[in-house]
Amino acid sequence: MAWLQALREPEQALDWTLPQWERVLRLSRRLRLLGRLAESLEAADLTARLPAPVARHLQAELRYSRWRTRLLLWGMERLPAMMGEPPYPLVLLKGAAYVAQGLPIASGRLPSDIDILVPQEHLADAQRRLMAAGWAETALDEHDRRYYHEWSHEVPPMQHVLHGLELDLHHNILPPVGHTRVDMALLLARLQPSPSAPWQVFHPQDQVLHSAAHLFHDSDARDRLRDLVDLDGLLRHFGTLPGFWQGLPARASELGLSEPLALACHFVTLWLRTPVPAPVLMQIQQAGPSALRRAWLHALLGAVLTPTEPDQGSSRWQNLAAVALLVRHHWRRMPLRILLPHLWHKWRASAKVASDDVLAARADG
Amino acid sequence: MNPVAALEPMRALSQVGTAAIQQALLGPGLLLDVGLAILRVQGDAPGLAQQLHAVYRNFPFRAAPGWADVHLHIHRRRGLRRWVRPQVVFRCDSEEPFDPFPADTALPLMEWGANYLIGRRFNDSLLFHAGVVERDGHALLMPALPGSGKSTLTAALSLRGWRMLSDEFGALDLQRGSFRPVLKPVALKNTSIDVIRAFAPEAELGPEFPRTRKGRVAHLAPSAPAVAARQNHAWPGAVVLPRWRPDGGTRLEPVPPQLVFPTLAFNAFNYAVLGAEGFRAAVSLAQTCPTWQLEYSDLHDAITHLEREWPAVVLQATARRAADSGHEGAMP
Repeated sequence: MAWLQALREPEQALDWTLPQWERVLRLSRRLRLLGRLAESLEAADLTARLPAPVARHLQAELRYSRWRTRLLLWGMERLPAMMGEPPYPLVLLKGAAYVAQGLPIASGRLPSDIDILVPQEHLADAQRRLMAAGWAETALDEHDRRYYHEWSHEVPPMQHVLHGLELDLHHNILPPVGHTRVDMALLLARLQPSPSAPWQVFHPQDQVLHSAAHLFHDSDARDRLRDLVDLDGLLRHFGTLPGFWQGLPARASELGLSEPLALACHFVTLWLRTPVPAPVLMQIQQAGPSALRRAWLHALLGAVLTPTEPDQGSSRWQNLAAVALLVRHHWRRMPLRILLPHLWHKWRASAKVASDDVLAARADG
Repeated sequence: MNPVAALEPMRALSQVGTAAIQQALLGPGLLLDVGLAILRVQGDAPGLAQQLHAVYRNFPFRAAPGWADVHLHIHRRRGLRRWVRPQVVFRCDSEEPFDPFPADTALPLMEWGANYLIGRRFNDSLLFHAGVVERDGHALLMPALPGSGKSTLTAALSLRGWRMLSDEFGALDLQRGSFRPVLKPVALKNTSIDVIRAFAPEAELGPEFPRTRKGRVAHLAPSAPAVAARQNHAWPGAVVLPRWRPDGGTRLEPVPPQLVFPTLAFNAFNYAVLGAEGFRAAVSLAQTCPTWQLEYSDLHDAITHLEREWPAVVLQATARRAADSGHEGAMP
């Protein structure tokens, strides 16, 4: 994973041979990091010094990621007006927040959707306003719709005919029924204005904790190396703010997110050499998982987060680790009385698709 | 002669046995240079070696290692599906973006997947969804409108002395302002297959796939001269919007630039991605390329009409470029 260093030190890429480049282009494109690499080389004025077959891919991706960023910016600009400037906070999450704040990691970061958050008591109103402005829920079956409304921390993704990106409207950063419940009042109490008014963003510490929770509470960490690169970038950028590090462990514990923070710090210091002050790192690790738990979590997550080589499928061990983490995820996220019916429905739905497939094949065969 | 072509081995796919192709597919990969990109193909999909042997017959045979831009892997689905209604799977860089296809349609799956990836990735060109052929150094662009039969007309022109650049992509190089070949087999569908067979019995068609998602499909192999010239750009010449009519004569109706622009822009795969650059390129083509709507029922007659107009198109384009370069004081 030495190539990741080139995201921050693009000069390193000048030494790569063509076969090395071929691998990095394939890997980084799949991991949604090619745009970052391209912007980083472009900013250092190095693209023209690369072999022509490489440079064209970087330039092509530059155009692609800049287009996606334009779509994001346009959505961010239009949404408050489309919603009629509602009288409650509008919060940008993740990629949209990074772009609004002009963070270095926003450059070349390929956005997949626009994530926004409103206080839960205003969720229905926000959704109503969006739908009145032409945003519509993506097609879902009845089960999925109920799942979103009752057990999720967001409403189903919405689309608009004039907007290229999907919109995810959240009221929490984690599902409210999981073992870890984040008290949104604490996050909302420390909102910060963003340069794109009226949008607000989380406090820098909370942005880091959200990113860590997003990665380590999700069901599948495969090909999620980009989230670690995000965390590395956030820590490097916000780490220079006065008081950032000192308050971070306590804030994590206050929000119940000490474990994801410890996991995040473990992987970014190990893989991306993120500078975390030693005493703070120790404090974070002490508040994180116990030694035994740490051992198996690090092993499983390390296996799953290590990107598969482009010419190979994932290894048996990697698949096993992914399944183990998936089980853990569901276990923590939903009580069994919700989880079992959910899995039953999902299994039935997939069995139905398979049998429809066979029937359709028979009909035309 | 371009230096890449000079280094290529002499043997074409048609001159090596399918065993050698199969060996490359199962091993390091077969490299297919289609002009805009180099494809690397691997996998154990049944029949793929024979199918490639037929439709890429005039392409030089090269096995990896070597640079590739797009990496395709087409393999049999494992498990029960190996025996019951077998399927083939398309993979690129460890991702499987599509549902599997029936096992007897490996080539259509590969072609479909390759086009999908080319259309998404090569944002150094404005990629019109169009057929392109060249004569006298200038390109004739045929945008793919529903029912236009652009593949049929592209195939027919390529069998009457025009050089084929592509059946699917009008790849306008944004830096040079010229079209680059994306030379792949022409996918002929349903009655088009019979039309082309009747039009040119000597046409080199690959195996027929009776049941694909788009109906019956067979591919026309690009000719040896077109393959040899696949690095040669062509200057923009003219645009033709073909419309096939079962009965009636041939009509060439000029189309004004303000109608050409949306036809071009909204038929491009990456027009939105390229933003202002894409807009300027599409406007420039619409303003400078004479455009006709072509209604035809007979291919021979349609080609005769086009060839009658062509010398004037070439003269006009050449004069325009001379004026532009004189104006800017530099050769293009």
